[in-house]
Order: sequence, then structure tokens, then C-alpha cells
Amino acid sequence: MHEVFRDHPIREGSLIYFAGIDLGSTMTKVVIVDRDGKTLSSLVGPTGAEHRRLANKVMADALMRADLSFDQVSYVVATGYGRINIPFADRQITELTCHAKGISSLFPGVRTAIDIGGQDAKGLKIRNGKLIDFVMNDRCAAGTGRFLDVLVGTLGLRIDELGEISLRATHKLPISSTCTVFAQMEIMAWLSQGTPLPDIVAGLHDAIANRVGKMVKKLKIEPEVVFTGGVAKNIGVVNALQEYLGLKVSVPAEPLLTGALGAALLGKELTLKAMAEGKPIHEKELRLAESTFFHTENH
Amino acid sequence: MSEEKKKKAMNRLKTMYPLRANIDQAYERSVEATKAGKPTAWSMVNWWEADPILKAMDIEIVYPENYGAVCAAIGSAQKYLDRSDAEGFPTHMCGYARNCIGYTAEMTELGHIPSDAPMGGMSNPILLLSSGALCDARIKWFQSLGRYLDAPVWTVELPHPGVEESQMPGVREKSIQFMVKELRELVAFLERLTGRKMDWAKLEEITDDLIEINRIWYEINEFRKVRPCPMHSRDFWSCMNASLYPAGDPKVSLKLYRDMYDEVKDRVANKIGAVENEKYRMVFGELPPWHALKIFDELAERGWNFVVESWAYHAPKPIDYAKISDPLERVATQTYQWLTGYFPDALKEKEYMGYFAYPYLEWARTYQCDGALFHPLLTCRTATNHLILAQDRLLNKLHVPSLIAEGDIVDLKLFDYADTMRKAVVLEEMMDHYKKVRQEEGFEW
Repeated sequence: MHEVFRDHPIREGSLIYFAGIDLGSTMTKVVIVDRDGKTLSSLVGPTGAEHRRLANKVMADALMRADLSFDQVSYVVATGYGRINIPFADRQITELTCHAKGISSLFPGVRTAIDIGGQDAKGLKIRNGKLIDFVMNDRCAAGTGRFLDVLVGTLGLRIDELGEISLRATHKLPISSTCTVFAQMEIMAWLSQGTPLPDIVAGLHDAIANRVGKMVKKLKIEPEVVFTGGVAKNIGVVNALQEYLGLKVSVPAEPLLTGALGAALLGKELTLKAMAEGKPIHEKELRLAESTFFHTENH
Repeated sequence: MSEEKKKKAMNRLKTMYPLRANIDQAYERSVEATKAGKPTAWSMVNWWEADPILKAMDIEIVYPENYGAVCAAIGSAQKYLDRSDAEGFPTHMCGYARNCIGYTAEMTELGHIPSDAPMGGMSNPILLLSSGALCDARIKWFQSLGRYLDAPVWTVELPHPGVEESQMPGVREKSIQFMVKELRELVAFLERLTGRKMDWAKLEEITDDLIEINRIWYEINEFRKVRPCPMHSRDFWSCMNASLYPAGDPKVSLKLYRDMYDEVKDRVANKIGAVENEKYRMVFGELPPWHALKIFDELAERGWNFVVESWAYHAPKPIDYAKISDPLERVATQTYQWLTGYFPDALKEKEYMGYFAYPYLEWARTYQCDGALFHPLLTCRTATNHLILAQDRLLNKLHVPSLIAEGDIVDLKLFDYADTMRKAVVLEEMMDHYKKVRQEEGFEW
């Protein structure tokens, strides 16, 4: 079988690049950084069912945007719940450590981070860029992106319009914060009574803030608080979380990418440390089967 | 071509197997005893307070709590849990109680031991011996069995002093006096119930054996402070019941614990660890998910060696019992020593967390642990409510991080295996981080 080997020599001072890939339950994210940690390219694509294929595609697109070939990427760190399913990664690191790193690079004073993704919600306690404690949701969709995904269908809305709609609320309705299915029944009851949509949506956001806020309070929250993950794009949840915590919550410009960014930066750290110590950079020779994106020109 | 069998990362003690078999045989012995017209009692763990008395009176004992663990471990608990639920008992009740009530309801309905009951089942008792030690579910559980069984319930009480209160003048003496009085009343009751007389010489012998069993078991666990730790928590749990309940013939148990001592000592001398590549030395908090013990194999493959576990199931710190001539007082003193043995150390450190939480702190330090896996039991408040406190003290005082993985001893629906593994990987990264922190701050490990 035709195979590609990517073990090229790296000399001090040469142009080297690092990639982080975060394979989440809903979206796959890639960030490519240079030796200074500057982001050259980033991309978000749906994860879908075929993890490997989609991971390859998102990586290939990100490389294309950065005008790089895979050979020029010195180290790839994979993270996210699907991280073990990325054949071209040099190393897997958990999403919590990667998030801590990525968020700290954007907000050096961060001490607490809240990440709400497609299927989980996490609280991180961070000191000097290091993860020092964490909490994660247990097996329940309440308080995650899936909670909103399910309920927008009932409301006849799109996920990306929830935030703006909630800003028009005059009254927040109490919605069950413990069960997605029960919340759906409550919404149907409100709808049947002709309740304005903004009031229902604001209630949903409060339910998420309540659920996640309670969980994260176990960490003894300290400012600065940063909110990441796909749900952080929803201004309604950001406001609800700030209100629940009684603290200002900062949101990165692209809250989906902090895990991949952290992965890339950790890859950079590992590589530069190995170089400084004169150690081999890659623990194993990386082989890539021709079915991967590196040979798309043959397809 | 035959596939080469993958070597397991966990290296079980050879001497564990006969000890565990000796424990398991208690169930078959009780069935045989009942057939032969001999009395059998169902007894809760009472930390040696009452079982020696039953043994001295030649009453066979089976242990419904242990039976719950056995049913869970071999995947037979669900039907008993379902039966308990169907009888109207709450699902958030103690998993052991649910298993026992479901089993009893089925046995009563059939009129005999269910044919598929694990280990031959628990035979019809003449006595339900309950204990007030530690756990609040214990009183009502055995009372509830009165709906199905025609057997009296006797509850042995135990004083529960706090850390500071235990050191007040007279508290120790009065507590032990109270326990001895309780035990004398139990002896009188058993003599009435069985028509047998207490064999005091036999009680003395059994008490001596139990004290010696606990001393050896304590010493075996002291060996686990060595790197690499020679014995995993799996072996501890497999063998603890010969000391804790005490299941099996004490003479046989004593011999088997001595064999185990020799094996563990040999492992220490030859630097043989219970896990092939010991990377993380771990504390386990509370009883394990008996239905998912394979998680420890998976964690062992990642270098996790569980070197110590919850205080409640360990032998008491050894003391000199030679001057105590009354066997009932020796029994009571041993139980009281188990309950309060760590209090003087806790007081010295100004830690008032009590018997459940403080030993985690002392043991994480003396066993040089990197992290803790806490398993709060959703159906057990007693075994759970101290874990948050222990987690906080371990992190803030010793820089030892921990993971809380909720679950249950019996009900597998309450434990999320995959989620626990997902979080365990994050804990590894935190353990690596805190190892550096401890080194920077001058800790020994």
C-alpha cells in the first residue's frame, strides 16, 4: 500500500507549524499555529458519523487555507471526545487541558472557564494556564447544546436565532432545568396558551444557566470567568449565566475554537521542549494510509 | 493459529483465591446447616461486635450485605432489585437492602430458596441480627423483612462519639460499658431463642482468633505503603469479609491470612507490584461498583494501582488486649478501637472530619497517593456525604486531586462506565500537574 511518512527533520529557526484538532460530538474544529503561537488558519466543520473522514476533510481544508502541506506541520494534537479516532495525530490530550491552555492564551487572567458543547458541559478551574480542577455533567442532555437542539424544533426556530429572540423577552418563564423531555412538554403547554416566544426562549436560557451554574459553583468560582463552546455564541445564555453567577462573563471571538487552539499550542510546547532537550519529537513514526486526505489528488 | 492470551495488567494475589472461597462457602454452609436442623442467622456487618457471640453458640451466619455485593458482581442482582421495586419499596433505598428484600420476597413466595440464587442462596433464618453501626437504613431494612420472614429482629447498638467528644474523660469507658451491656443482653436473648448455653471458652478462643486476624490483616495493608504497592484494592475487597463480618471459620481464615501475609511480604522483598507499571497510586473512596469491577482492570492498564480504600472496611489499629479478661469487653473494645482509632491523630491535626473522612487524609499521605477515585453511592447517604469534604481536604491540604464518579454498589443503572473512564483520563492530567506542585512545595512524593 502506498504510504506517506511525515518524519522530516526540524532545524532550530526553521518555519514550523502546529495543528490542534478538536473532534467534538457535533463539530470538528482545527487550528493551525506558527512557532509564535499565531493562528494561521482555523476551521469548523460538522463531525457527522464518519469521524475519521470528516476529521481528514476539516484538517485538509484548514491546511489549504493556511497554504500549507501536511509535511510542514510538525506536530498534531487531537482532543475532544473523538480524539482517539484521528489517525494522523501525534498525541491525544483531553479537551479540558486543551481548553485551559487555549482560553488562557486569549484571557491570561482567567481563573474559571465554563464550556458548553453539544453533549457536555464543563467547568474548569485554571491557574497560570494549567487545569487545576474540573467538573463535568453526567449523562443527561439538560444544560448542554443538545437541550437547545431538541427544543428549537418544538419552538419552530433555528438555533442561531435564539439569542436575539430572547433579548426581546418581557418576562422569563420558569422551565424545568432537569429534564429535556419535561422541558419540551412545558414549552408545548406555554405555546398552547399563546405565550410569546421570546419569554419562552429566555426561560430556556435561564434553565441552562441554572443547571450549569450550579454545577460549576462546586469549583468555588473566581473571576475572570470565560465562557466557551458552541452555546457561548448565544447571547441569551451568556446574559443568563452572568445573571446567575453575579459575575461578568467573557466570551472569545470564536468560542468554538479554544479546545483546538489549546491543542495546537500544547503541540507547539511539546515540540519546542523536545527540540531544546535534543529529544526526538515524535514518539512513533507516523504513517498515513493512502485513503486519507493526503492523497486526494489521486482520487 | 491460537491467539496469544493478553497478559492482565493487574497481578492478583494467589493467596486471595482460597480466602475468598472460604468466605463464599458461608452460604452453602448455611443451607446445609438449615437442612440439618441447625440455626442460621442473617447478620449485618457489625464490626465484630456481635458475630463472635453467634459463632460461639454454633449459629451459622450469612450476610445480606455481602450477598448484595455477590449478586451484583455476578450480574444476578437486577431481578431482586426489580422485585423490591415491585413490592413498593423506594428505588433510592440502599442497594443491599433492595437486593435482600427482593430476594426474600421471592424466597417467601416460592416457599424455598430460588433455584438460581447465587452461591446456593441464603437459607431461612431464625434470627435477623441488625446493627446500628454507621448506617441509618439498617434499622428499618430488617424490620421490613418482618413482612416476609417469621424471625425476630435484634439490633446491636454502638455509640458514635465525635472526634473531640471521644477524648473527653470517661467517654471511652462508658461507651465500652454500654456495648458490653448490649452484648450481655444479646447473649441472654440468644440463649432463650435457641435453647443453647453460651460456650464462654469458645467465645474467648474466637475472640483471640479475630484479634489476631485483624492484626495480620492490618499488617498486610501496611505493606501496601511500599512502592510498587504489592496488593490492589480488588484483592482487599475479595478478602476483607473474613475479617470484617467475619465470614468463614476463624481458624481457617487465620491460616489463610498468614499465607497472604507471607505472599505480600515476598512481593515487597522482590519489588513485585500489583499493577505491572505503577504510574498512579490511588485511593478508592467507598465501596466499589460491584457490577463493574472490570473498570479496575482497564485502569490498571493505564498504570492505576489502588493502594488503599475506605476506612470503614479496614481492620482497627492494633492495641494490646492482653489485660482485658472478659471476652465481651475485648469484643467491644476492638469495635470501639476501630471506630475511634484515628481520632487522636485527627485531633492533633485539628481535623474534625470524623471516622469516615479523616483516614483518607492520613492514608493519602502515608501511602503517598497521587489521586483518589470517589464512588458516591446514590442509595447510601452514610457512605457518601463525607466524600465532598474528603475531596476538598485532599486537594487543598495535600495537593491530591480526585474524581467523583457517582454510582451504586448494586444497581448498575446508576453507574456510567464510559463517562467515568472519560473523566479518569482528565484526572491523569491533573495528577501529573499536582505531582509537580507537591514536588515544588517539598512534599515527599
